[in-house]
Amino acid sequence: MPRREILISGFGGQGVVLAGRILGYAAVLAGQKATMLVSHGTETRGGYVRSQVVVASQDIDSPLVEKPDFFAALSQAAYQRFIPLVTAGLTLYDPALVTPGEPITSRHQPVPARELAEAKTGSVLAANMVFLGVILAGLPTISREAGKQAVREIVRRQVEKNILALEAGYALAESRVVSG
Amino acid sequence: MKTLFNTGNAAITEGAIWAGCQVFAGYPITPGTEIAENMSRRLPEVGGYYIQAEDETASLHICAGASLGGLKSMTATSGPGFVLYADPYGWAIGCEIPVVVVNAQRVGPVSGITGAPGQGEFYFSRYPTHGGNFETIVLAPNSSQEAFNMTLEAFRLAERFRTPVTILADQLVADGWESFQLPETPEELASLGLGVVPRLVHPGPDFYPPSDAIDIPPVVLGRGTGAAASDWTPTEEGYDTEEIEPQMWHAHRLVHKILQHRELIDRHEAYFLEDSPPLVLVSYGSPSRVVRSAVRQARAEGLAVGAIRLQSLWPFQDALFHPKTIHLVVELNTDGQLVREVARAAKGETHFWGRCGELPGVSELLVVIRDILSGQAPRSMPGQWEAW
Repeated sequence: MPRREILISGFGGQGVVLAGRILGYAAVLAGQKATMLVSHGTETRGGYVRSQVVVASQDIDSPLVEKPDFFAALSQAAYQRFIPLVTAGLTLYDPALVTPGEPITSRHQPVPARELAEAKTGSVLAANMVFLGVILAGLPTISREAGKQAVREIVRRQVEKNILALEAGYALAESRVVSG
Repeated sequence: MKTLFNTGNAAITEGAIWAGCQVFAGYPITPGTEIAENMSRRLPEVGGYYIQAEDETASLHICAGASLGGLKSMTATSGPGFVLYADPYGWAIGCEIPVVVVNAQRVGPVSGITGAPGQGEFYFSRYPTHGGNFETIVLAPNSSQEAFNMTLEAFRLAERFRTPVTILADQLVADGWESFQLPETPEELASLGLGVVPRLVHPGPDFYPPSDAIDIPPVVLGRGTGAAASDWTPTEEGYDTEEIEPQMWHAHRLVHKILQHRELIDRHEAYFLEDSPPLVLVSYGSPSRVVRSAVRQARAEGLAVGAIRLQSLWPFQDALFHPKTIHLVVELNTDGQLVREVARAAKGETHFWGRCGELPGVSELLVVIRDILSGQAPRSMPGQWEAW
């Protein structure tokens, strides 16, 4: 797989880092290389969080995400801060949390993650897994089984509910033909 | 071999366990706290001891004491804690006590920003204590895999040279997540070119020989060895002295045991130097990852540029730098530290690109590379390049 850059950003408590960890580990399970840089404010919850994930079949030099292939915006602040980085890539956003600014100059895909997570699992907590499913569907060298296995090994509680949310993301991607 | 996706801190922890570390004493500080957390879980599993110390000074004192008791030891901190190691670091140098010290550098001065990388302790790691009359060994990883490998190397060098060894990482290497190979058997460890030097006990009676010899077992207190390890200048037998001649032999030993065997320490990576390009980028730690991407792209554009990445920082590898080459040194600081050594060693045209708190972008470095190769005058704003 050529180098793919994924930027996930939102606020503390949304599972931005967890989603990045699962994505990176899924890549490893699929025989790929992965890096992730995490930056965050000093707060445990509520502050800004960003995961910069790079996956590739070769060794990864720069771990920086400078031109994201996928940008998952989980908050309005994250969207506004990082949307200038996205040129050729695809921006994924939850319309319940983010209103895209006009004019939209790059590809955008709404992902009703909170709504889907609540419908599938009874809680909005797994919204990050919906985004993750959409992203993984756009990285075909990482098998769906590797994605699920990574969730099973990393998530500590409510594993099957997280898998349901992940599958909702995959299904959404398939229905709308998402690609990086 | 197991492939993990985890942080540099996790890799350092597993490297220390593989190396036979049995004591970790530390005081929490981002971005080194995770090493302490991991060691607190892992050491009891291997019969070792984890100690939460009252501060960093005590941490390294405890580690040095444990090493004098015959147990391999390690501590970890960031810049604001590294400064407090100064007293026990000197003791460990002077009494020739093997110990591994990790410093995950963050942006400073003083407490700076917890979650932002820095490279402010390049010189401080060379002179981590007072008094002079010593050389230091400092290694600098740039990935999780190398953090694992270098931790084993640090323990090996500490034992062979009987001295503290500093692993000078940075926040992005320490906290950054990456895939890396974790050996599960000694054979798999050997396949990575790594090995473990066991802790031996020096039988005495001559504990501090007036020579530059290495591979002498370290001083271990008790066990019938009759050893002493005070912080005064020792005679050959390890007794305190106020005489100048044994002091001179002691100082000679502390310097030359390292300089005379530096081929065991020196290490670097070179990229695209085969055609002797006019411009060479120099870096260490996490910026070297971006430098490598930038140099690859520059080569793809047909630009004649190469890179040197230092894996060991001290003793400084003067011979890598030549006066006819233009050097561009990229660092995570704005005062320029590594660049001073490169300029001194190269005695040629040298430039500096520095920023504190975050990495340069590949595109930013490409602009500077093109500017230098086309003879543009340097700009001296923060984050841009300047002539040295």
